[in-house]
Amino acid sequence: MRIARFDDDRMGVVASDDTVVDITDLLEQYDPLDAADLLPDLITHFDELKSELESRSASGGGKSLDDVDLHSPLARPTKIICMIGNYREGTDRPQQIMDIFFKSPEGISGDGDTVILPPHEASIFHHEAEIALVIGKESKDLSRDDAMDAIFGYTVFNDVSARGLGREGINSFLGKSFDTFAGFGPWISTPDEIGELYDQHITVHVDGELRQDYNTSDIERPIDELLAYISSITTLNPGDVICCGTNHQGLGAMQDGDVVVTSVSGIGSFTLNVRDSDARQWQRGVDEEMAARVRAQGQEAPAQGNGG
Amino acid sequence: MRLVLTADDRIGVQTDNGFVDTSSVFDDIRFRTAKDRMPRVLAVFHERRSQLEELAQSGTAEPMPALQAPVPRPPKLIAAFGNYREGMDGDRQKQDLFLESPESVIGPGGTVVLPAHEATIFHHEAELALIVGKRAKDLPADESALDVLAGYSCGIDVSGRGMGRIGPSRIGKSFDTFTPLGPAIVTTDEIADPQKLQVTLTVNGEPRQNYSTDDMEYSVVEILSYVTGFMTLVPGDVLICGTNHQGLGAMQDGDQISMSIEGIGDLQVSVSDPHNRDWQRGIDEEMAARVRNRAGSR
Repeated sequence: MRIARFDDDRMGVVASDDTVVDITDLLEQYDPLDAADLLPDLITHFDELKSELESRSASGGGKSLDDVDLHSPLARPTKIICMIGNYREGTDRPQQIMDIFFKSPEGISGDGDTVILPPHEASIFHHEAEIALVIGKESKDLSRDDAMDAIFGYTVFNDVSARGLGREGINSFLGKSFDTFAGFGPWISTPDEIGELYDQHITVHVDGELRQDYNTSDIERPIDELLAYISSITTLNPGDVICCGTNHQGLGAMQDGDVVVTSVSGIGSFTLNVRDSDARQWQRGVDEEMAARVRAQGQEAPAQGNGG
Repeated sequence: MRLVLTADDRIGVQTDNGFVDTSSVFDDIRFRTAKDRMPRVLAVFHERRSQLEELAQSGTAEPMPALQAPVPRPPKLIAAFGNYREGMDGDRQKQDLFLESPESVIGPGGTVVLPAHEATIFHHEAELALIVGKRAKDLPADESALDVLAGYSCGIDVSGRGMGRIGPSRIGKSFDTFTPLGPAIVTTDEIADPQKLQVTLTVNGEPRQNYSTDDMEYSVVEILSYVTGFMTLVPGDVLICGTNHQGLGAMQDGDQISMSIEGIGDLQVSVSDPHNRDWQRGIDEEMAARVRNRAGSR
């Protein structure tokens, strides 16, 4: 099943005939507080809604996808948790230490929305295409065996990243937390929908030119392992979004006027526009310097940080 | 005004005579779970303040009940790196902040539970906490930025060291129970100057941290201006302003931690370590010296 948010805060299922069937009426019984609540309500009550959702999804006859305005399926995730790195990137390096960071859940961008580059002096603004999962139930200390049961579904994420800001030697990842820098869509696909999880083809096209082009078969820590790790640190809740990391081979600049299409083969694709009021320019194409630097990572013992 | 949230989910004001239940002022505020109520209350706090003050004066005071964190689950929890000079002269370090898990908050009387993860040490970091009361983006770095705050509180940024991959451990600060917060939201009008507050922390009565916010590298208004250059702040967001590392020390099983900021209040929590590890007691002098002598190595 594919679940989308569209038009004026409507929730729908994307049916087998590729039309969007409105299901907002099914969620009214839960008395949602606001738009941000619709999907968490749907997730929380999914078991009781499932048969009706499936039936509407099967019968179709909704609005054509071309005629609806899709939004990010979650208006505001409760948390966005991102894996650092997490792809082998063609190397046979040993597994690196698992690590995560938190990304601001404000100012989410969805299909057709515009990423606004801030005036900050970043060395570059990169796209990072990722497969992301949406948590389906409150979870802490998941075992790897139980981890996959905590997943409600998958979505396509672009972790827009400003480089070179902040204090040197720290990597706060704050350059990923500008408003509009969390782009995801076009919908959430339930796990039964996407096919083989570790054979997902992930791409980014910028103005039609291929940039990132990798497969989830190259993932360093599989999703059950990263869920066990993350939930050993922090409680997960329905509506949390976890981004599974990116392959840096193929990153490139996002700049004024760019049209960025991010795709995961078993889920779908969504489009982000880019606006930079300063109209700065970076080299087009793949950032080969970054790609080489990340390939070289993990070939030696990682530096252990300290301090607060 | 000192706004508090009781352990049994009542919203009230701590007055000279005790606690006054003011929940009725917010009866119409709907919420999803009890933990998510305070951000919605804070969103209307400024406009209902006179109503709240009236009731706080006319209502019946009762002895202070047990409290929980004034914002049990903030929409965002944002922490400053370092941010104290600690005797350093010369140029300020570059400003930087990061996000922590908002699930990590506990309240007064709570228990910090050390996880099984292998940390080199678990440190306390006593910090001035800012509680956001209004949506805000692109604030100027002047006094007017303080208008977005509902108030101040005490925060302890419990920090597991030596974890994770790049630079200082951020992830070691995001464990559940690792951000004690409270006891109250003390409104900004009660605090004449947030850069003239003495912050202390003791462990089992033994002094550890004891510093003034006048030593901050980037002031409260500079923090608010900087962070809103990145992201929108929303009611209930909590920012912790960084710590002075002179006086950090281990937190370990059975410890009683007591933090205090003058004019804001006292925050007490205990520590439980199911794995009963031992670290040296007292101040971590090695860490203190390293931060004093920092040369971009942090």
